[in-house]
Amino acid sequence: MKVLASCFLSPFAAVLNGTVKFQFQDDNWLKECYHKLMLDYPKFYKMDDLSKMAILSVELLKENAYLNNFNKDELELIFANSNASQHTDVKFIDSYTNIGNPSPSLFVYTLPNILTGELAIKHKWYGENTFLIASKFDTQLFENKLKHAQMKGAKHCLCGWVDSKVEKNGTLTQESFLFLVALNEENSTISEELEALFKKYKYLSTEKV
Amino acid sequence: MSELKETLKAQIINQLSLEDLTPAAIADDMPLFSEEGLGLDSIDALEFIVLLESNYALKIADPSQGREIFHSVNTLADFIEKNR
Repeated sequence: MKVLASCFLSPFAAVLNGTVKFQFQDDNWLKECYHKLMLDYPKFYKMDDLSKMAILSVELLKENAYLNNFNKDELELIFANSNASQHTDVKFIDSYTNIGNPSPSLFVYTLPNILTGELAIKHKWYGENTFLIASKFDTQLFENKLKHAQMKGAKHCLCGWVDSKVEKNGTLTQESFLFLVALNEENSTISEELEALFKKYKYLSTEKV
Repeated sequence: MSELKETLKAQIINQLSLEDLTPAAIADDMPLFSEEGLGLDSIDALEFIVLLESNYALKIADPSQGREIFHSVNTLADFIEKNR
């Protein structure tokens, strides 16, 4: 297994393959990132924050070119987080308790795996996809799923830890870590590499420059 | 009527999170659910139902009327004018 490319997004910065690409100034950092990446995808605005982070992370990764080389069913998606769709769940509850009408467009995002569907629709990736819930970023979990994918004959997996949590005081904790893995290399483990990348990117994305 | 249409355009942009659009970019007769128009989808149609109920206290009794009512800002405004 080999990590071909990786990126990290937080409300503070975007990191691609170990380099800070840009930092965010706007409170609406997802919209700021959308404009910085010069995306033209109006559906973006209708998505929940998990899907927005996944869409933006993939656009960032695509600058690396690897992601542009796959046929429709060649790429498997393995995603995870620890708070499922809690952020959208809270908004949806608010839409019918305080605002008075349950919002259909919020309701469709009250499942975290919708983000893999949004990626599949935008990029026409029709390979298998999985979304897992774990208490924290778990490299062994990803490695086990990658080995399983390799056993089934997959060659490449796009993996992601995309999490959004609204705290009781209303503050948001958000992060998105995506990594593209080639499964046809000799190394049988990438846990340590992933752990190191995650810590490094998290540090880089919060460090004030 | 023209005031209602302008209000509707602002409400559509707000309700459907069409952040890059301005009311001026939505023509009165622009097809809302066609790729040649705004390209809205089935979830947006549900949002229209919520919009009509919450802002105009209107319900669509026959769901099959939806396609006709939601065709454009003109048809939406007509429906509101005739039924409120």
